Amino acid sequence: MGFNMRYLDLKRKIRDARMWAIQGITEAGSGHPGASFSAAEIMGTLYFRRMRYDPSNPDWSERDYFINSKAHSAPGFYSALAVAGYFQPEELRTLRQLGSRLQGHPVRYSEHQRHHSVPGIEYSGGSEGIGLSVGVGIALAKKLDGKKNRVFVLIGDGESNEGQIWEASMAAGKFKLDNLVTILDRNRIQQDGFTEDIMPLDPTKDKWTAFNWEVFEVDGHRVEQILDALNKAGQVHDKPVMIIANTVKGNGIRHMANNPQWHGKAPPKRQTEVLLEELESECLIAPSIIAGERENYEDKIRKVEREGVDMIHLDVMDGRFVPNTTFFADTIKKLRRLTSLPFDTHLMIEDPLKSIQDYIDARCDIITVHAEACTENEFREIQERLIANGISPGIAINPGTDVPKWLYQCLHNLDVVIVMSVNPGSAGQKFMPEVLSKMIVLNKQLRQNGFRGYIEADGGIDATTLQQTYDAGARIFVAGAALYGGGDIHGAVIQLRHNAEVALERRLLNHATQLNIRADWMKARKHILIPYANELRIEEELHAIR
Amino acid sequence: MLLGSEKRTADMRGAYGDALVELGRDDPRIVCVGGDTTESLKTKKFGDKYPERMFNVGIAEANIVSVAAGLAIAGKIAFASTYAAFIPGRCVDQIRNTICYPYLNVKLVVSHAGLTVGPDGASHQQIEDVAQMRAIPNMRVLVPADAVAVKYLIRMVASTAGPFYMRLARPSSDIIYADQSTAFELGRGNILEDGSDATIIGCGLMVNKALEAAKELKRKGISCRVVDMFSIKPIDNDLIARCAKDTGAIATAEEHNVIGGLGGAVSEVIGETYPVPIKRVGIHDIFGESARDEEIDMLLEHYGLTATEIVKAVLEARSRSRK
Repeated sequence: MGFNMRYLDLKRKIRDARMWAIQGITEAGSGHPGASFSAAEIMGTLYFRRMRYDPSNPDWSERDYFINSKAHSAPGFYSALAVAGYFQPEELRTLRQLGSRLQGHPVRYSEHQRHHSVPGIEYSGGSEGIGLSVGVGIALAKKLDGKKNRVFVLIGDGESNEGQIWEASMAAGKFKLDNLVTILDRNRIQQDGFTEDIMPLDPTKDKWTAFNWEVFEVDGHRVEQILDALNKAGQVHDKPVMIIANTVKGNGIRHMANNPQWHGKAPPKRQTEVLLEELESECLIAPSIIAGERENYEDKIRKVEREGVDMIHLDVMDGRFVPNTTFFADTIKKLRRLTSLPFDTHLMIEDPLKSIQDYIDARCDIITVHAEACTENEFREIQERLIANGISPGIAINPGTDVPKWLYQCLHNLDVVIVMSVNPGSAGQKFMPEVLSKMIVLNKQLRQNGFRGYIEADGGIDATTLQQTYDAGARIFVAGAALYGGGDIHGAVIQLRHNAEVALERRLLNHATQLNIRADWMKARKHILIPYANELRIEEELHAIR
Repeated sequence: MLLGSEKRTADMRGAYGDALVELGRDDPRIVCVGGDTTESLKTKKFGDKYPERMFNVGIAEANIVSVAAGLAIAGKIAFASTYAAFIPGRCVDQIRNTICYPYLNVKLVVSHAGLTVGPDGASHQQIEDVAQMRAIPNMRVLVPADAVAVKYLIRMVASTAGPFYMRLARPSSDIIYADQSTAFELGRGNILEDGSDATIIGCGLMVNKALEAAKELKRKGISCRVVDMFSIKPIDNDLIARCAKDTGAIATAEEHNVIGGLGGAVSEVIGETYPVPIKRVGIHDIFGESARDEEIDMLLEHYGLTATEIVKAVLEARSRSRK
């Protein structure tokens, strides 16, 4: 929500962290993928956006503290530290092995423990329910010293069984520790099963409120919501803050998600490549609110937000670069108040540099300008200003245009390339299939040159063309008429998601087949594959798997 | 060593409280975490003087030691205090994983150890703590014999990095170190009396009884060396081996279970260095019981924690000695 979050870069870093974590776990043959993945967005948002720290000076006196009380999420924690720059991520492959610095549970770094730890780890965990007390101690010390450092503690819902959590909770309330933020990874699963069966925690919010905490509740996989809550936490005085992050254990790998079986089990090493591919293949759906009936943008945003779409695509048209006119920064500013969903703003305007500040001020999260509308120097300046303001920069190309040569010099800080599959200017046009081959080639060339951002498909995207553009490399899908055109937004989102899933499952299955682990993969994935069996033509094969 | 001739008593807890106030004056990093026992532990003195550095977290021992760990992580020298029954009794895990493993600057100073707790009974009579604390890597274990030792050791504990466990007794006790010049060094026992026929190694309140026993034995013509082994970990291996070699028999005396405490530690050392007969005086693996304050001596007698028992132990060890 204009949080300086550089949304797509943040998403990518969290994705990278998940990928390193799974490599560590499969290499080690043990570890806790479930907890690592339920907390990936929480740790990622803290490390990549919110916390103050300096990897080259881990003891920096002004740093914020992170206490990972649910220390079994170690692989996720280590990978966040690695992506944050504390050590080379390749070291994740030594996880839990003899001689590794990456112990099964994280160890506080000190001269004393330098062989069993990495800089940046403040707290030795492993025994549950303790970290919050430690956070209380650090917060007390910082208050005593009149320092501004903040203390972030991650706790689990399973470990909330421990009485000490509530001892610490009482103490934090008593001491009015407004420099302490606790985030509860509410994934609802503990080792023996579901938390509400083993030891019910609900009503969770009431409990923390009763302990004199300010409580916020968020979807713990939505970075924008986590950041929103963290920002609000910064405004709270004389009270500690609890952020209940509702999460899914194992989120990111579909057959592990919300499955107690995967609390502390490693997937087989032979599946690593396929798992990495899945993590790399997250799809984002971005409804374009100019589609359907004109205007009524607020209503359109509310409707798709309810359906769990990933962001809002805002088509700005100036009547000069394209024939039509839609809306400008002032409208975006008004809409901004409605939602924390990321705003994916697509400027179809002439001379975008001239008005870029208006869109920065309107607190967009992604701003894409057209290659046809700016020179290299102009784009570089736009890119620089967007990065400086924590906004994801993007470039768009029309169906008839290739990416300009100079773009290859700007890939490092480029978060998205929109490949138009209609000529921009109005909603409801037909998808141009010739764009597919262009997208495949472009995706390959960009990646070869170091592009790590997203390809966004825009123009005539429906359930069918989504699959085609998915296969061509797109991972963000602008859906306009397909969502708002038919009157059934709920059904349309389900259909789009379903088709994205079919495309994903097909891709993963093909990959598994290439690796000669097709049967193995299908067995692991059976309950996920059942709904797609018909479309993937694997009904009999799946049926035969025990 | 010259011992004070004038007998006087003092309270170890009082000495701790005073020492803490002094330390707090000299070093702003000194903080204290208490658990609804600050009056009893005499840490309230520190709290009255430096209210912003005293954190009373109530009856929550796991929280006491873990909050202390957090304070230490943020650069403080954190003292955590309550009754020995509950630290370490209720939080061995936190002490192990959160304090000792990361080698944090947390000083656990606890009181009411052993049977001399008196009326509160066995639930409060901590007799296993030395064994538990001693077995955790990185932990140092101190059992001072009097209020003077407490004063010196608190200063040493504060200025030495890393975790410490120090156990104090509830009652006032005779001053042993009336001569204030005695040095207290980590891992070094103090020889209070020299002798050649046997050695009594004691800690805590039993050091006084060891001195009494030595007097009694002297009357019987037996010359006893008496060692105050206030530093149970690290323990003074050299001195113990030397005592074994010089005197040929050893008795230990502690207000603790004979399993795993001072007697256990000394046995381990002589077993591996210079095996000689040893007899352990202590609580023989049974729980204590209530006794009114005026009945404490009888309680100790009942459980065999007396000078007479030490005398018997020395005689028995000597009878098995080949020296």
